[in-house]
Amino acid sequence: MENNTPLLEVKDLDVRFAVRGGDLTALRGISFSLDKGERLGLVGESGAGKSVAAFSILNLIARPGYIAGGQILFEGRDLAAMSERELRKIRGNRIAMIFQDPMMTLNPVLSIGTQMVEAIKAHRRISTKAARDIAVGKLRKVQIPSPEKRLDQYPHELSGGMRQRVIIAIALLLDPEIIVADEPTTALDVTIQAEIMALLLDLCEQENVALMLITHDLGVVSQVTQRMLVMYSGRIIEQGPTREIINDAQHPYTQGLINALPQMGEPGARLFQIPGSMPSLKNVPTGCPFHPRCDFATDQCRQTMPEYVRSGNVDVACYEVSNLIEQEKNMQEAGS
Amino acid sequence: MTSPLVEIRGLEKRFDLSGSLLEQITFKNGRFQRKQEAVHAINGVDLQVQKGEALCVVGESGCGKSTVARTVMGLLSPSAGEVHYGGSRIDNLKGRDVLPYRRKMQMIFQNPYASLNPRMTIQQTLEEPIHFHRPELARSEVREKVQEVMQSVGIDPDWGSRFGHEFSGGQRQRIAIARALAVDPEFIVADEPISALDVSIQAQVLNLLMEAQETRNLTYLFITHDLAVVEHFGTRVAVMYLGRVCELADTKTLFAEPRHPYTQALLSAIPKLEDDRPNYIRLQGEVPTPVNLPSGCVFHGRCPYANERCRQEIPQLIATDGGAQVACHAVEEGRL
Repeated sequence: MENNTPLLEVKDLDVRFAVRGGDLTALRGISFSLDKGERLGLVGESGAGKSVAAFSILNLIARPGYIAGGQILFEGRDLAAMSERELRKIRGNRIAMIFQDPMMTLNPVLSIGTQMVEAIKAHRRISTKAARDIAVGKLRKVQIPSPEKRLDQYPHELSGGMRQRVIIAIALLLDPEIIVADEPTTALDVTIQAEIMALLLDLCEQENVALMLITHDLGVVSQVTQRMLVMYSGRIIEQGPTREIINDAQHPYTQGLINALPQMGEPGARLFQIPGSMPSLKNVPTGCPFHPRCDFATDQCRQTMPEYVRSGNVDVACYEVSNLIEQEKNMQEAGS
Repeated sequence: MTSPLVEIRGLEKRFDLSGSLLEQITFKNGRFQRKQEAVHAINGVDLQVQKGEALCVVGESGCGKSTVARTVMGLLSPSAGEVHYGGSRIDNLKGRDVLPYRRKMQMIFQNPYASLNPRMTIQQTLEEPIHFHRPELARSEVREKVQEVMQSVGIDPDWGSRFGHEFSGGQRQRIAIARALAVDPEFIVADEPISALDVSIQAQVLNLLMEAQETRNLTYLFITHDLAVVEHFGTRVAVMYLGRVCELADTKTLFAEPRHPYTQALLSAIPKLEDDRPNYIRLQGEVPTPVNLPSGCVFHGRCPYANERCRQEIPQLIATDGGAQVACHAVEEGRL
């Protein structure tokens, strides 16, 4: 890195939802950063807060949700404190978003061209002709055949894979610095998922765009990202280089998640299973939110939330891991 | 070889698109013309399910795998072909004659949010099939049976008075499995039973299905798009493409040495944990519409090995040296 300030830095972000009977905490003390051109994976099961985290980066949390604390620094400016007007200059322009369902993102009654031109003109003062040329160029970039013709087509005339390519083209229209992709291939078949993921990866590398990829698929994270965060019940429980976490996960939850994959087990044998399910936000357990499902849980885990400790290049929030590190250190000291 | 428990012979299923006779007739160039169109969901499928095995049917959306499941269960009637159960034909049975087979064959659906009646308690949901299929049982015996199945799927029998919406997705799928098990079936058709669930919950449900298979001596027809699950769970695998079986083999054989070009592409598209980049066989084009099927091999338009014969002649499943049955001219001729 030339300079040390990251492109995006999220510090101690708290997001709450105001509901009857008090606030629900959807995100608790989320901190992470994203450098220029870096690809970051955000992993977790439904209800872990992945999508809330993604939405809050663009300050898109709708009421009753609100950002209760913390900062979202994009190039040093705090998005959480910005006015709606200023935010609009960043959304879609500097930070673009790709959503899960391409049919929900595209307007069914407008042609692809109209939607793309509209997006460009919202941010730049250029002629329709010039905007169409940009649109054609981006469609070509996402490998859509005969892009000029596609501009006059409607979303329903395209297949699911094509639609998701159009969405990626729209995200790229204004040459953003960051693309936030929320489960971009979940609705697609495996062969199409592979194509879309490869395309997204190539584009990010070519254009040096940072990618924040939200997914539940550890295989995809391993193929596409350089660093990853694992979320559980609104907290980041482990973050670090993807390879390091996949090969040697520290947190018992991450370990369980990886070992529960059918490809990790011996065919026909019982799969490793994490007992129980993620707590609902209404009754998050005290202490470490994972303790009711954890084999290593102690009284300490049940009472206080663990702080992050560093193991290799990975930050983990787990007492078991910090105890192991402590023991190792003591043994080394005793040895010397 | 013993006779199979379930046998599908020459199964075809078309869904009519053209509507009533009056809607089919158009007046063109001074004459009346009748035009009929249909979705060819299944085009000649032969499958045998042996007792005690788990036959997995895999393929991408639109390949006809769910239609096969539904036709076997009698939820859809075949346009041509036969379904046999334990040696007798069942697809042409009517009224009371079907009942004994309905009890032996049960189905688990994909979405446990839609497959449980929201107005019935769990107790009622589980009692209903027992009352229906075994009217001779006394109330107390029915209640005992319900307790037994609830325990066997890991749902506390005390929760019987609750409604479906009070449970999580994984628990609901357990209840759906309990409902299928309640009438002591021999054969279970599971249509994507874990696709709607989170990774850690998928492992739990998959383990439960394997446990039930062992303790109750069940036979499965397992429909899924997730090949990693198939590798773990299946005894044999049938790969479908556009309404036809293109490869049928033992799970081990199929994953060790896929022969059909489509199977090879499908397997390569699974994101693996050890990959650093997307790594897959790129197919040209997209799945053609099942309304106008391609001539010859349905896969020829996307196949890198297609020649003139593939464009004209439909390949049949032929046994290969490896033990797999493959419907591919290139494999048959030794070109592949």
